[in-house]
Amino acid sequence: MAILEAHAVSKVYETRGVATRALDRVDLTLEEGEFTVLHGPSGCGKTTLLNLLGALDDPSEGRVTLDGRDLAECSAAERSELRLHKLGFVFQAYNLIPVFTARENVEFVMELQGVPSAERKARTDAILAEVGLAELAEKRPLEMSGGQQQRVAVARAIVGRPELVLADEPTANLDSATAGQLLDLMEELNREHGVTFLFSTHDPLVIGKARRRVRLRDGRVESDGPGA
Amino acid sequence: MGLELRLAWRNVWRNARRTWLTVAATVFAVVLVVFFVAMAAGIHEKMIEDSVRVASGHVTLAGEGYFANRTLEQFVTLDAGLQHTLDAAPGVRGWAPRLVGFGLVSKETDAQGVAVLGVDPAREASVTTLARRVERGVFVSEDAPKGIVLGERLARNLGAELGDELLLYSEAYSLETAYDLFTVVGVMKLPEPSLDRSLALVTLADAQAFFVYGERVSEVALLADDADAADQVAAGLRGALPGAEAVEVQTWAELMPELVQFIILDDAGMYVLLVILVIVVAFGILNTILMSVLERTRELGVLLALGLRPGAVFRLVYLESLLLAGLGLAIGLATSIPLVLWFQAHPVELSNELAGAMELIGAEPVITWKLKPWNPLGSVLTILGVAALAALYPAVKASRGRPVDALRSL
Ligand SMILES: Nc1ncnc2c1ncn2[C@@H]1O[C@H](COP(=O)(O)OP(=O)(O)O)[C@@H](O)[C@H]1O
Ligand SMILES: [Mg+2]
Repeated sequence: MAILEAHAVSKVYETRGVATRALDRVDLTLEEGEFTVLHGPSGCGKTTLLNLLGALDDPSEGRVTLDGRDLAECSAAERSELRLHKLGFVFQAYNLIPVFTARENVEFVMELQGVPSAERKARTDAILAEVGLAELAEKRPLEMSGGQQQRVAVARAIVGRPELVLADEPTANLDSATAGQLLDLMEELNREHGVTFLFSTHDPLVIGKARRRVRLRDGRVESDGPGA
Repeated sequence: MGLELRLAWRNVWRNARRTWLTVAATVFAVVLVVFFVAMAAGIHEKMIEDSVRVASGHVTLAGEGYFANRTLEQFVTLDAGLQHTLDAAPGVRGWAPRLVGFGLVSKETDAQGVAVLGVDPAREASVTTLARRVERGVFVSEDAPKGIVLGERLARNLGAELGDELLLYSEAYSLETAYDLFTVVGVMKLPEPSLDRSLALVTLADAQAFFVYGERVSEVALLADDADAADQVAAGLRGALPGAEAVEVQTWAELMPELVQFIILDDAGMYVLLVILVIVVAFGILNTILMSVLERTRELGVLLALGLRPGAVFRLVYLESLLLAGLGLAIGLATSIPLVLWFQAHPVELSNELAGAMELIGAEPVITWKLKPWNPLGSVLTILGVAALAALYPAVKASRGRPVDALRSL
């Protein structure tokens, strides 16, 4: 079943009178349980596309539907709700809340969702153990390495049980060994919990881990097919 | 709410030095405001107190038309019924009947016009401080009939000494000529020069006999708990008096409008300074919150991306500002209230030169403080209001941010 569909989506940025067509009539359908990479050279439109799919930005043309709902018809508050309940995000720069500990960062999403505190604690303990950070639960982001922070970010992204996790270059700031471990973790979560992932990268090593590969070039889908 | 508060509190402490600086500025402002408002209140209350305690009390009861004419024609009959009403009136600390007449006093060939004030010595002490102003000799007393106490300047002008006999001369209520001999028993120093030059005190009984006034008195001076309570006491009294009695009740503010004017002007000058102070605090808070919002564009965008609603982001920034102000207020009040209470208990006596200047204008040379409830309350509301106003722009700015813009700057 399709979770997310993009129909002929285009995005044109206007900066000081100069129009940049970052995306040009992109069609993309994501099915439940997929583990998909979005790749292509820098500037090809990966971030732009992820932002549109994550209801963080509006397309200039075309339509994005999440669970059958047209994002263009949602109010700001409804988009907040959709992001909160149906989507998880992992960013290149980790972007954890710096004043919160690892545990609090993971609990944050569930607190917004209104999950009762006992359940919150249990789920946080479980997920932190799963990403291998049980010992660091009370540490703040600045006390952790980049790889550890990104694991917390992944935990935060999936703990709210979203239908889809969007990850924009999650490994770009990590060394290749750590990047590989993070991808293995995401893959495991995908396999064991059925979390659907769409992540972007231009790292061939990371591309190799995906089961479906979508290649963008100059704002268009150049190829879309199964991986190794 | 719990989550937002926790996040706001942690954010407040991210830049502890900046937070403490803002808090310090708020504390400084709160302390200054509370201290100076209390000082003004204390000084004004003292002025009122000084005035009512040489004059006619916080509230004065008199015959109809007395306040406009001040002659023997307007009077109050101090019968048992009225005495009972006065004793039973709520909020009255004391009351004293007076007879006010005018006449000439002469010693040998010197004569001076005087205001003759007949007082009940025991009751007078419960309302005014006249007895304490006696510099030489004693106050008038029922035990020593036909005693008279003179203002210091009056005594000097007459060349009168303690023990001298004076002739008091006037027209009685009966319109007959009234004259009698009185012995100088005391000389008192009155702050108001015109009073000092003209006041002659005798007992109420002597005055009533001299003016052939019977049970009548000119006015009854009442002391309330404080100046602010005067209106309430006056209203209570107006209600308690039987309608048939042709009397008037006035408060110190109605009797001394120039004093009220002076206080208003004095307060106005002070409030201008305080407003400037509060504006400085407002900009301090605005600056701190705006900087913290601008520094966190990315982070606030992440919160929005994770599903925090724009309204919650607004509240978050707002809470941070209120926490900042609240912290300053808490410390400011914890400092200023004990400080003011201490000064309230320990009035500051002024040094010689200043004291002389103040005595010239008829004020006692002390500075007093008075903490009224609306002082800290008003400070709290003002600072919170200012913080709420100052946070508006940064909070709106933060909540209007779009997650994508915030995440872009990678
Ligand atoms: N906010 C923006 N304003 C103007 N141009 C932009 C903006 N964001 C991205 N672009 C342009 O759009 C194109 C796609 O960018 P982006 O989606 O960031 O690519 P990628 O993530 O694949 O590197 C690039 O040419 C980039 O310069
Ligand atoms: Mg990108």
